[in-house]
Amino acid sequence: MTSEKKPGKTARYGMTIDVDRCNGCGACMVACAVENNVPPAHEGATDRKGITWIRVFQVDNGEDYPNRRSAFVPVLCQQCGKDAPCVSVCPQQAVEVDPATGIVGQMPERCLGCRYCMVACPYHARYFNWWDPAWPAGMEKTLNPDVAPRMRGVVEKCNFCHGRWHAAKQLAAANGRAIEAVDYVPACVEACPTRAIQFGDLNRPESAPAQAAKNGASFRLLETIGTEPKIYYRSKKNWVRQISSAPKLGLGKESSRG
Amino acid sequence: MKHRGKIVFLAGVLVALGAGWLGFPRAIYQSRPQPVNFSHKVHADKAGSKCEDCHAFREDGTFADIPSLDKCAGCHAAAMGSTVAEKNFIDRYVTPQREPPWASYARQPENVYFSHITHVKLAQVKCERCHGGEGSTDTLRPYQQDRISGYSRDVWRDMKMDDCVACHRQHGLEHSCLDCHK
Amino acid sequence: MNTTRRDLFKFVGGSVVGALFTPAPWRLITDSALWSENWPGIPRPARGEIRTKFTNCALCPAGCAVRARLVGDQPVALMGVSGHPLSHGTLCPFGLTAHHLPYLPTRLKQGPAKEAAEAVSAAIAKCGPSEQAAVLDLRPGRTASWTYRRAMASVKHGLYLAPPSPLGGSAAFDLQEAKTVLSFGAPLLDGWGTPGNVIAARENFRLIQAEPLESRTASLADLWLPIRPGSEEALAQAIANVLANREPVAPFAALTGLTEQQITSVAEELAHNGPALVLDGGQTPAAMELNRQLGSLGRTIVARRETPVPESWKKAAPVTNLASVPDGSIRVLLIDESAVDGYLSWSTIARKLVRDNPLVVTFAWSRQGYGRYAQFVLPTAVYPEVFDDIPPAIDSVAAAFRIAAPLVAPPAGMVNPSEFIAGLAGLPAADALRQRADAIHKAGRGTLFTYAGAKSAALRDVKPDNFWKALNEGGCWLDAVDEKRRELPILPDTEAPGATESSDEDLPLVAITCETRAAAAPLSPLMSKLYQESNLRLAANHAVLNPVTARACGVAEGARAILQTRCGSAQIEISLDSGVPPGVVKVAAGAGMIDLCGASTPAKVVAA
Repeated sequence: MTSEKKPGKTARYGMTIDVDRCNGCGACMVACAVENNVPPAHEGATDRKGITWIRVFQVDNGEDYPNRRSAFVPVLCQQCGKDAPCVSVCPQQAVEVDPATGIVGQMPERCLGCRYCMVACPYHARYFNWWDPAWPAGMEKTLNPDVAPRMRGVVEKCNFCHGRWHAAKQLAAANGRAIEAVDYVPACVEACPTRAIQFGDLNRPESAPAQAAKNGASFRLLETIGTEPKIYYRSKKNWVRQISSAPKLGLGKESSRG
Repeated sequence: MKHRGKIVFLAGVLVALGAGWLGFPRAIYQSRPQPVNFSHKVHADKAGSKCEDCHAFREDGTFADIPSLDKCAGCHAAAMGSTVAEKNFIDRYVTPQREPPWASYARQPENVYFSHITHVKLAQVKCERCHGGEGSTDTLRPYQQDRISGYSRDVWRDMKMDDCVACHRQHGLEHSCLDCHK
Repeated sequence: MNTTRRDLFKFVGGSVVGALFTPAPWRLITDSALWSENWPGIPRPARGEIRTKFTNCALCPAGCAVRARLVGDQPVALMGVSGHPLSHGTLCPFGLTAHHLPYLPTRLKQGPAKEAAEAVSAAIAKCGPSEQAAVLDLRPGRTASWTYRRAMASVKHGLYLAPPSPLGGSAAFDLQEAKTVLSFGAPLLDGWGTPGNVIAARENFRLIQAEPLESRTASLADLWLPIRPGSEEALAQAIANVLANREPVAPFAALTGLTEQQITSVAEELAHNGPALVLDGGQTPAAMELNRQLGSLGRTIVARRETPVPESWKKAAPVTNLASVPDGSIRVLLIDESAVDGYLSWSTIARKLVRDNPLVVTFAWSRQGYGRYAQFVLPTAVYPEVFDDIPPAIDSVAAAFRIAAPLVAPPAGMVNPSEFIAGLAGLPAADALRQRADAIHKAGRGTLFTYAGAKSAALRDVKPDNFWKALNEGGCWLDAVDEKRRELPILPDTEAPGATESSDEDLPLVAITCETRAAAAPLSPLMSKLYQESNLRLAANHAVLNPVTARACGVAEGARAILQTRCGSAQIEISLDSGVPPGVVKVAAGAGMIDLCGASTPAKVVAA
């Protein structure tokens, strides 16, 4: 469902994440879950069956104590800019790239729950609802009205806080103009205490991710497979940069979630 | 009775057609009256109200929907006319300060992010384009709700996704599902 | 004419064919699909007007500024307030999810307040001449703390107890001034002090972290010194000797597992790249001695004035350090767990109680803390329901006054600990916060920072009523800091911690607790993202061992095992990591685990 004749400016939202600043506190993970109405873990959920649109992985240089050095790498949907694997495999056309924002969108209503996209995603950034979303009694009052909770049996993932995008677009309309890239940031960006995550429009040369894209110390995850992700990582440490191209991706256990 | 078999078969077809076309569309909806016999016409004519006087936007661009009791009580703290509807409204809701349990004809499903202000202010769409002549009716029609899906009948009639898409397509504003879905 | 079965089938067949040409079957399919999107298993978020309210987080003494997003009157998200002079717009994961806390399933809903009050009065009457009735305040310096002190001054045998604190409340660490920071295991980048303030200062100092485990702080430090467990004091001594050009260094270095060369270079860095600051978990005498030697006092450790209090409150019981109370002397103990800075292991408290029949009453949100040992647990409001002030954190150079104004009303049946304790002495407690605000206003110093517009105003220019109103709508009073008067702080005498029993034959390992932040406060169920749905943080009752250690203990990855210490034992789940030093068990601190291990203790792991 895309249209060729698209008027106005288009954005290419992206992020830059400074791994050297991330202290692994997890603020982005909970802020994301609060914003996007992701429920707390079901009793049986583990790191394989849980839902974390953004997940901070602890990676290390592979050495033993006392030469072990660790770093924290937040991994979310990399918003592939080219040939997003999840789009092409979906039998339901439930995944699409918005040409106006570059955001890879997931439509839970269309999703069959076949999880083909989860297998296809090289970043393991997609999550399956193994259970109905449930909150402790009374806590459902704290849900965000801008995001619809998903049902059991569908796949979901990061969409750069699309609810915030909607609200920003609405606020811009109240001021009589169309939404601009600087009008909003996703919840993880706002919550990050160390400002390790920054958000912006890659089409604007002054934005943080556009600057990062030019920066030699920047890297993207699995660059060799040609998906052109829009999340740029940065680290001064050599071993961290190397981990980004390793097939293991530093994600510890190779995921067989779902 | 050579054609008896065919007749019985045709009778079955006819009964099903009748039930499916005439009975089913009624049976699928549950109907309930609105709490107050409100006249948009009276408010538009006598009080000279425009739509946005009561159905206002808030500062952040969100749409305030059906106004809350405070707004009504601003004028109707005591009866202004002599109609039964107004008296009932004041006795039942204004005096005990109880919000009337309005049912919103056009309430969108949970997974839709519909922004009034982008349509009304940016795109200059008239209220009537989607809400029809609701603003000039003299009584509120009963609220009809789909028994299974729980959606309002109006959403089914002229606010289906296809209708949204048709207009968006016409204006070249059809980008992705997440334009409207949340 | 008989109706036959054949007719019936034909009729039914006809209706099926006919029905296919009506909207009914198709509509039923669509409708059931739509129903499945909205079935009762999926809660619907309430819609309404989006509002913003401000408050201050009461979960820890950082007291970070909070901007709440509300739908109607219900908070749906909490975020930091950018431009705040102390918290700099940051919130930690605990604070970000605090609006869930009122709905915790484990929360206490009612408690026997009346019976508890009677029992306390009766027990106080029975106090012997050397026995005492004490209030243990786990977050001293609040207005409620003053209420407790005033109450305890007029209650017979009354005593006001505070946990041992590193700087005694009248001094602060000034990280902005420091160029080199040596930390003996203080979790500097993981919830220490005011996180936003530490992060803001971080770019200007070099961080040397001496710690057995590679903690979050160690992994981000400029230099991590992987010392042997329990050798912090030896390292401090070695550095002190290098600084003073004294011998010996080598034997101390050997204890730490570092080379002399490493220690010398750290000492040189501290001496030449000053101002320096030495931190550790509890400010042991060794660390404070290093600070004296490096001239930190008055530069990176500075005196902090007290937040003004009304003159009439000065007739209060003195602050007594829990550690200095004789063992077996407390008959009645009231513990205020509604505001906790850090969980003290129960054994440090229990030894102070009389042997026969002591009365313990605790004010807590659940039974999971000291409630496990108390006769009465009285339920309290949780943040963001509480109406309480937050004393300045240890890295706040200026005195501060900020109020956690409630975002939601507490449920019925909650007990307000300061009203309960004031009631024992017949004091009115309801207005204390307002009285304190007026006293601050009367002193007239400092500035008021309001959150709605991120504006600062001199307190002199604000009317008392407006000051009170601003504090309730999210505001923070900050005392003026006189740069010329950076006095030498008066520090409490710190005692050396009881010598850790070294290398017991029967307890060959050392258990080190981490994630202590999670032990003290209630946790949102959403924290499962960090503890259960990912392995970012170590979950309670999980332990990490080096594979070599595990093999020696006969346990494997994922196995259940028993952790034994001098204080008892607990079941743990094992994971293996060669980044953990051999001989160490890394455990996550729940309240139970702190009771068992404290900060670190000799231990043993056996297969279950």
